Amino acid sequence: MSLKTKSAASATEPQTNGDPCAAITDARNGETTRGCETTKDYEAIHQAFEAIKQKHRDDLGPKDTRHIVAMRRYSRVFEVLGRGLILALPGPLALLGVPFLFLHRNLETLEIGHNVLHGQYDSFAEIPQFHARNFRWKAPVDELGWRQEHNAVHHVHTNVYEKDPDLNHGFLRTNDQQPHTKLHYLQLPLYLLWLYPTMLYNFDSQNLGVMERFRARYFPKGNQGYAVTDEKHAFSETEARRRHRRATWRIFFKEYLCFPLLALVTGTGFVKVFLANLLADLLNSYWTALTIQSTHFTEPLQPEDALKNKGRWYISQLDSSVNFKGNRWQSVLWGHLNYQVEHHLFPDIPSHRYPDMALEVQAVCRQYQLPYKCNSSWGLAIRKVIGVMWRYSFKNTSSHSMEESFLSKQQSAQQVKHVQ
Amino acid sequence: MFNKRLTRMHIGLIRALGRNRLEYLASNTMNALTQRVDPFIWSFECQAKVIAIRQETADTKTFVLLPNQHFKRPQPGQHIELSIDIAGQGDRLVRSYTLSEMDDTTVSITVKRSPKGRLSRWLHDSAQLGTTFDISQPRGRFVYRQQQKLLFICAGSGITPGYAVLRHILAQPQVADIAFFYRSPTPELTIFQQPLTATGKVDFSYSQQGPQDKSLAEQLTAYGDILERDIYLCGPESFKNAVLKFLAGIYYDFERLELEQFAPPSTLTCQPRKLDEDVTVHLKSQNLSFVISAQDSELTILEAAEAQGVQMPHGCRTGMCGSCRTNLVSGEVTGSQLGKTIYPCSAFAASRELVLQ
Repeated sequence: MSLKTKSAASATEPQTNGDPCAAITDARNGETTRGCETTKDYEAIHQAFEAIKQKHRDDLGPKDTRHIVAMRRYSRVFEVLGRGLILALPGPLALLGVPFLFLHRNLETLEIGHNVLHGQYDSFAEIPQFHARNFRWKAPVDELGWRQEHNAVHHVHTNVYEKDPDLNHGFLRTNDQQPHTKLHYLQLPLYLLWLYPTMLYNFDSQNLGVMERFRARYFPKGNQGYAVTDEKHAFSETEARRRHRRATWRIFFKEYLCFPLLALVTGTGFVKVFLANLLADLLNSYWTALTIQSTHFTEPLQPEDALKNKGRWYISQLDSSVNFKGNRWQSVLWGHLNYQVEHHLFPDIPSHRYPDMALEVQAVCRQYQLPYKCNSSWGLAIRKVIGVMWRYSFKNTSSHSMEESFLSKQQSAQQVKHVQ
Repeated sequence: MFNKRLTRMHIGLIRALGRNRLEYLASNTMNALTQRVDPFIWSFECQAKVIAIRQETADTKTFVLLPNQHFKRPQPGQHIELSIDIAGQGDRLVRSYTLSEMDDTTVSITVKRSPKGRLSRWLHDSAQLGTTFDISQPRGRFVYRQQQKLLFICAGSGITPGYAVLRHILAQPQVADIAFFYRSPTPELTIFQQPLTATGKVDFSYSQQGPQDKSLAEQLTAYGDILERDIYLCGPESFKNAVLKFLAGIYYDFERLELEQFAPPSTLTCQPRKLDEDVTVHLKSQNLSFVISAQDSELTILEAAEAQGVQMPHGCRTGMCGSCRTNLVSGEVTGSQLGKTIYPCSAFAASRELVLQ
């Protein structure tokens, strides 16, 4: 972890007197040399991040509309190329079209869909097709269910045990607080071979609360340890199933019925197109799953009350997310979710601004000695998350106990100081 | 010809699929091409198309509208806003109209041509079968809430919501106890005269004909149990004010009054009064208070509440839609006010203490 070395280096630096964040710095070192009113520090941290957000809000303009419109154009070109090649080329050669089709599905799922549904482009009247309210995903995920689960719960209670539904998509166990069941022994192979390739479909049933019945039935401890759908937003069971059906069937219809039938009619082979589309679909799910999962699970669980103070909330967002490195074009293919930290701090700012914002966020983190984490590559991030999944598939993981959150370390440091 | 077929296809589509399913299909196939092929269905906007026009009286027409799939099912007594760009006039006109009739697929508005009203003139003179414009979702609280004893007091074109609610109540298995007072200039100018007479529930009163000896107050006093009835009031502003004055005089419980209000009250032009001291506003229903400081006296009550982080229900913010309507329990306001009913989005505090419902 490149950033770990950076923060370690800064921690050894002599502190300037009157640094408003001395208490936090102390907590990071696990020592208590000097205390100061943390609420004031939180306020300063809050204001620093708000200032970055406001700066980019004020700067919103044609640059952003150009970006999203260009993304849609690329996606269309890739779709035509991909579907055309798959349809036209004979036999295994049709595989040549799959990468293009994958690029289309990928752009639509991540860079366009995910970011549009965060409301990043809602303020531009000239592109109503990219307003969260109007947008329909070319992914098997119900937009309303996702916005409730992802925007309103995951982004608010990130990595909070029993509150963040993303901590245990399906039945995943990635921390030692969650009760262990027998199925968890198999979680790594099950996820890598079955659940990741179909991840988008699983996300949808998770968002709509369709999974909760499955867990309650097959897990001895029922829903203990899981973030259940907020009752206020919960759909009735029939409504949830209807939404799930609708979200998945639009993909089934297009990918596995419409285009294969078109191939059948034109005499170029139903099965070939069906399989090629299936491959692109699985790749898309796998890519999305690995992008998302490798940016949260390796990070510490956050205290439940992080939300109570805006400054603390910003710190919990910094602490629960980790970036991984990639250039601007690669970042587009990850929907800029490799800038997970920036995304969690500013979820409604257009994603193509994250690389620029990252520099400003890093400056604030340096100033206030806050954690800013970054993996040197996607490969490393994936290896780490697979390590976590492997470790927590076993019941007894006390030897690898999870790192404590920045906020609770800081709190215990202060308690120590009080005792002294 | 083509237009007619297209309209018939739209009616057929909405009938066969239902708005919900059509929305699913249309939204998932929305792109630059489909939007051009059929801008009525493949649209992000809630639009409506005129599918029939009926003459009611000499100056009143009913327009039957087919809303597209974005429209939510309305309740009788609600209204919609029409937004129309009138060619050559540049700006967008927005006006509210009550839904006088509705069925599973269509809604109707009944519009009196007023020589000064630009939108009503446009509807009467320019709107044809197939004309399409943007509408809002159904709005308003002028709806039946299963009360047992009701009195409708309507005048002029204010009959439309009363008529819609009346028809709805009469269609219920258990019909409530209804009294219906309707005042119009002459029988010829009475909208829905025939269907209203057919119900046998309506007491007509003509202001320019028949016995002139009875005042409005006397006529309303004839309803002996008026204090026990929930009143639905709708009509021109002068009429409404007269009724409100009468009701205040007999100590009617304004909580039970339902009022339809579109046009900004004429008092809106009233300037905020310069305050010498801070005003405390109590919101009884939310059990909270906030303070409007003296230098904020140019803020409306709604703006002042929002500045303090207090949420109050609101809609158009111009005194038109009635979403923010509330009752004044004590204190004084200037601006948008009808009797004890005030519109916080366009009313200003005018006494040291205000208590709102």
